[in-house]
Amino acid sequence: MLAFALSRLARAAITILFVVTFAFIVLRLSGDPALLIMSVDAPPEAIEAFRKAWGLDRPIWEQYLAYAWHALTGDFGKSMRDGRPAIDLVLERLPATLAITLPALALKLGIGIPAGIYAALHRNSLADRLTMMVSVAGFTMPSFVLALVLVLIFGVTLGWLPASGADSVWHAVLPIVTLGTAGAAIMARFTRSAMLEVLGQPYIRAASAKGLAWWLVVAKHALPNAAIPTVTIIGFMVGSLVAGAVIVESVFAWPGIGRLLVSAVANRDLAVVQALLMVIAAWMVLANLCVDLAYGWLDPRVRSGAR
Amino acid sequence: MTVQDSVAATPPAPPSFLRRTRRALVAWPPVVVISAAWLILMVITAAGAEWLAPYPFTAMDLKARLSVPLLMGGDFAHPLGTDELGRDVLSRLISSIRMSLLIAFFGTLIAASLGTVLGFLAAHFRGRIEQVVLMAIDFQASMPFMIIALSVLAFFGNSLILFICLMGFHSWERYARITRGLTLAANEQGYAAAVRQLGAKPGRIYGLHILPNIASTLIVSMTLTFPEIILLESGLSFLGLGVQPPLTSLGNMVGYGREYITRAPWIMLAPSFVIVMTTLSISMLGDWLRDRLDPTLR
Repeated sequence: MLAFALSRLARAAITILFVVTFAFIVLRLSGDPALLIMSVDAPPEAIEAFRKAWGLDRPIWEQYLAYAWHALTGDFGKSMRDGRPAIDLVLERLPATLAITLPALALKLGIGIPAGIYAALHRNSLADRLTMMVSVAGFTMPSFVLALVLVLIFGVTLGWLPASGADSVWHAVLPIVTLGTAGAAIMARFTRSAMLEVLGQPYIRAASAKGLAWWLVVAKHALPNAAIPTVTIIGFMVGSLVAGAVIVESVFAWPGIGRLLVSAVANRDLAVVQALLMVIAAWMVLANLCVDLAYGWLDPRVRSGAR
Repeated sequence: MTVQDSVAATPPAPPSFLRRTRRALVAWPPVVVISAAWLILMVITAAGAEWLAPYPFTAMDLKARLSVPLLMGGDFAHPLGTDELGRDVLSRLISSIRMSLLIAFFGTLIAASLGTVLGFLAAHFRGRIEQVVLMAIDFQASMPFMIIALSVLAFFGNSLILFICLMGFHSWERYARITRGLTLAANEQGYAAAVRQLGAKPGRIYGLHILPNIASTLIVSMTLTFPEIILLESGLSFLGLGVQPPLTSLGNMVGYGREYITRAPWIMLAPSFVIVMTTLSISMLGDWLRDRLDPTLR
């Protein structure tokens, strides 16, 4: 188990390094940072001084090492918009995003998993077909369409809920429902196919042939095995807790990470974009790491490397 | 042999009408027929956009601003109503369909070609090249593509060509993974070895022999990528970071229509409906194709 955990840890570290490298390459390809930050008609001496100050006159690998070191210690420079450290801007938006993505995650799992299990156990029944139809609609409908339709119904026509802003708890309802519905549809679909796969296995037949009550077969034999593929998609959802609400936050004017990203991209505030990239990547990698470790815990075959 | 032939030659009794209908329904489920019909309509719309659109999509008619669509009591001059500048929604919709389909088409093509070539390279050279490709696949899969796309747009600014190429980087890793796996398997099989023994160059083996054998799996994957790119493109355009005005795309229309959601909901409803119908149709058709073409993905 220790060797398994260590190899996963190494992979996580490599991915982070990849992201840092990606950001560095993209930054360098996009033009001379000196010209980008100073205006084009700045005097040549000033540009030269800027280059010296930021180490742009040193060899490229030295720049890369310096950049990577700063990035890994959370120093991305200052926002070009309001001059504050980029990483602070990002971190202060985090609670707002989690305030809608965490309840949405609960909704996804709370609705999606039971619906998927029920659909699989009652295959081809009316409930199954309905669940699957709703789930297909759920993940072919873009989140902004779902969001706007909900606004149109509950915000404009019925007037029950506020359509945008973040002034009260009620403002969070529509964003949470938007995120939760689409996610629940995907979760239901994955859970159902994982369950169906498991229910077709010989050991399920063996377990019910020896006279075990059906609910025990499901609870003791089917569910634990179906949990393994489901963990992947849960991990993916946990990974998207930080960055999965870009569009929904924009629709509802919710002051989270996603809206910061959109405005930073629109303003080409590169320091903030890089800080966001790093925070999102770190979170994703952490989530993937947890999934891998959960795999090892759930499935002894993965742990021993015999697959 | 001859006995079997004679058995097969005796014509069976003609099936009853009910049975024939049922057989036709099984072979061509209504959902598939409707999806196919919708997609054909979309392709025709995209191809004949200039002839089908009643007005140029940028033509303004300030006297007929925010006029109501036919279904809500409007008139035939603007069947889907007009927007805040008096531009005909139907004309803009047709032009948007063309733009969104074009981007999705080229995006899918780029992703599939890039991924397939990288997959072939990894399977052919093995060793270090394969490791590099696999690491790139891991990296691409570990970051949400929306975030990668947004940061690239932040650094480089936006142009239509760049945007299409960017969409082409979406899900190339899926093709690379599939191609590598299937090619490794195919290289072990008799036909690839036979062609190689005959002295065929790698390009010929991969292009003319292995590619046709793995094409059905790749085509099924394309039915997944295509709607994903439509969703991605419309999402980015909705945020105002994709297709830029005066050009218009489906997401772009929804994005601008959102400002008028209380007074003129039809501006955003028409393109939303088209997006949902199109992605839904492709998914339905893709599911059906997968069942028919590709037993390995089931």
